[in-house]
Amino acid sequence: MAEASTTTHSHPRYFLIWFYLAALTAIEIWVAQIGSWSRMFVILTLVFLAVWKALLVALYFMHLKYEGRQIKLMVVAPLPLAVILILAVLQEFR
Amino acid sequence: MTTVATHSEAAAHAHVDDRSFLRKYIFSTDHKIIGIQFLLMSLLFLLVGGTLAMIIRWQQGYPGQAMPGAGVLPETMAADGIILPEFYNSLVTMHGTFMVFFAIMPLLVGVFGNYLIPLKIGAADMAFPRINMASFWIAVPAGILMIVGFFVEGGHAAAGWTGYAPLSAVPEYTGVSLGQQIWCVSLIVLGLSSILGSMNYISTVINLRAPGMTWFRLPLSIWALFITAILVLLAMPILSGALIMLLFDQVLGTHFFLPAQGGQPLLWQHLFWFFGHPEVYILILPAMGFVSDIIANGSRKPIFGYHSMVFAIAAIGFLGWMVWGHHMFQSGMNPTLGTSFMISTMLIAVPSAIKTFNWLGTLWGGSIRFHVPMLHALAFVSMFVIGGLSGVFMASTPVDIYIHDTYFIVAHIHYVLFGGSLFALFAAITFWYPKMFGKLMSPRLGKLHFWLTFIFYNMTFFPMHQLGLQGHMRRIYDPTVYQFLDHLGGLNRFITISAFLLFASQLIFAYSFIAGWFRGEKAPENPWDDTGLEWTTPSPPPHGNWPETPTVHHPPYEFSSPLARDGDFLPQTREVKPLPDPAPTSTPADTPASR
Amino acid sequence: MSHPAHAMTHGDAMHPPVKAEFGSGVYTEKLGMWVFLLSEVMFFTALIGSYLILRFSRPDAWPAGGPQEVLNIPVTAVNTFLLICSSVTMVKAYAAAADGKLNLLPLWLLATTLIGATFVGVQAYEYTELVTHGFGPSSGLFGSTFYTMTGFHGFHVSMGVICMAYVTLRAFRGKYSATDHRGVEVIGLYWHFVDLVWIILFTIVYLI
Repeated sequence: MAEASTTTHSHPRYFLIWFYLAALTAIEIWVAQIGSWSRMFVILTLVFLAVWKALLVALYFMHLKYEGRQIKLMVVAPLPLAVILILAVLQEFR
Repeated sequence: MTTVATHSEAAAHAHVDDRSFLRKYIFSTDHKIIGIQFLLMSLLFLLVGGTLAMIIRWQQGYPGQAMPGAGVLPETMAADGIILPEFYNSLVTMHGTFMVFFAIMPLLVGVFGNYLIPLKIGAADMAFPRINMASFWIAVPAGILMIVGFFVEGGHAAAGWTGYAPLSAVPEYTGVSLGQQIWCVSLIVLGLSSILGSMNYISTVINLRAPGMTWFRLPLSIWALFITAILVLLAMPILSGALIMLLFDQVLGTHFFLPAQGGQPLLWQHLFWFFGHPEVYILILPAMGFVSDIIANGSRKPIFGYHSMVFAIAAIGFLGWMVWGHHMFQSGMNPTLGTSFMISTMLIAVPSAIKTFNWLGTLWGGSIRFHVPMLHALAFVSMFVIGGLSGVFMASTPVDIYIHDTYFIVAHIHYVLFGGSLFALFAAITFWYPKMFGKLMSPRLGKLHFWLTFIFYNMTFFPMHQLGLQGHMRRIYDPTVYQFLDHLGGLNRFITISAFLLFASQLIFAYSFIAGWFRGEKAPENPWDDTGLEWTTPSPPPHGNWPETPTVHHPPYEFSSPLARDGDFLPQTREVKPLPDPAPTSTPADTPASR
Repeated sequence: MSHPAHAMTHGDAMHPPVKAEFGSGVYTEKLGMWVFLLSEVMFFTALIGSYLILRFSRPDAWPAGGPQEVLNIPVTAVNTFLLICSSVTMVKAYAAAADGKLNLLPLWLLATTLIGATFVGVQAYEYTELVTHGFGPSSGLFGSTFYTMTGFHGFHVSMGVICMAYVTLRAFRGKYSATDHRGVEVIGLYWHFVDLVWIILFTIVYLI
């Protein structure tokens, strides 16, 4: 979204991201109170929206999008561990 | 504070040192001092853990008999010199807790992580020296708190070092209330110290390596400490979370692990062992790293298969996240899940085996120097193999059903933790003592200590395999109440006496350690003819380590190198002209040929 | 923000000179904060993971009509919006420092600090309301998980507010420049992380 120049850096459009985040939050609240959708669909939609918001914050506010491969790889590393823990333990309670 | 120190800054560091005594030795930000602080603290806790073990062994060898010296114990612990059953539960709990969290882990990571990393990568200090200081001074109150637990009403934690809920969550089950809470708080605080430390180690190894110290020129001790730090960083927070939930169950009325209100005891076990298994690799990987350095040195040969050693360390670190369920085969967990854990656990034996073969390959054809660190390192390899092999038995779920919670497991634990980690620590302490304190330890006392320890250690722990196979359970107060264990009384007494002799032998080490400070010969820069960067600076190194950042030219284990001019080794920082090409169509000698 | 290659050969604190073995490509303080945040990911994994597991195993321990039966969604939604706003003020502060607008930097930081403190205040208010209406940590699995997760998040925000206040003070004292505003970027990373965790928590604790 932005290229760095030599002296003044141009930044991602932070207020645009802010608008996205606010809008997504509003959509989430609307989805949460819809009675007619199936529960599974509501959960999936809400999780999708939350992940989208989280990615916006991580990629643009934390500038992860503009960091090198080493940082990106590092940040991704704990996520499979979290997934393994939760998925494995969920098997106990099927 | 961040990157390459300029020449003048580094020179100022190395030559002008006007810090006060307090800033130099107590609230020091110097990684070497912090490492020594961790060393003194951890050795004290090793003594505490060992003393608790002696009391445990008395009770197992002479159940129901008055223990000599037990008169000093209060009535809550012993009646007429006889250890009380409730106190016995605290004994086994606290022996494990002190040894794992306050002795072995800080010795491996806090001491040698701190001491070795900057020196062996060519840095002036850690990436964050003040956070490093905080790391130590946060660990101290955690340790004090854990000691205080012995003196509170109800006694100390008594639910095992694994703290299974709901036993640990409900005071009525153990009779212990405050002690169990203290256990939780102390470990949470220690966890913070560990996490800050690991953050420091990781940042330092990634960003502060000297020019020429590429990833594949790092000594294996540093690789091991680096991967270990990653394990600490990612595993300790899981334990912290679990301990917080346990503490809240104890004091806030939450129900995470209490079945009566819908909580799940198995959740504790999964969380604990998801931390606990990486934890045991935290307790062995640095040991393997030190042993690699020392075996290469003692064999006067490069480590056999350096790259596969690195990949083995990484593989152990990675696979270690996927085997935790093998501690829970008997818990009533989902059997399919159990099978997957059996398979992954068998797999993880492979990288450890690769490392063992590489150590043997290093020794093969070497010109072995049997100095004291080498003796301990060789003991590590053989004892770790025994401990690892018993692990393969336990990995098989059907076998584990029979031997779980017996002394077979205790034998395994102690073969890897004592036979493995502790021998490696003796090796590392004797190897780096001259660098740390500028004095040499007595080789004679060192060899005496080694042999006595090795013999009495095997006499203590090898018979435990047999005890376990005969059905002797763990953590039981009095084996004589079980008729089927009657015939094991003699074996138990044998183990107990061996354990007392083992403990007594450590006095030689303690004496040698302290006497070395006062009566030891002054240590030269490089007493072991080693190639690492730490041996190119005085013993002990000055604040800032080198007047100028060193440059690295060679891989880590260039022993018996054809390029070595004086001695049979090539220090990593030595600049040498390459040998002339022997072939007839050789290029002129001054053509640079980089390795 | 990508750093053009030539900046790497000039030495400054945020773009250290190219050194052969400078592994991460970023200055060490930023590396350290990212590494620390990874441990925080695992910490919240333990808490959030336990919540997911407990909820999955005993869904009947939650109100049949969902969390909104007990929790105040409108107030928390506004609070969520506030925290997002504080992330925007934080990143504007960073941008101001990077652009050399050092007069604006302390103001954006102050805004972040105040909004952050407000968030904590609203959370505390929410807690007192809930407790007086009989919903506390001992109120079953719902209470246990709710208070632990949001409580530790709130604790992290509070620590962040304290550090933010310190950074704001330093900014007012002119301690940051266009070439060295490491402290601003580093506290920013922590702050955004705390916002990110809340984005997840708000959804799975309040809405699902």
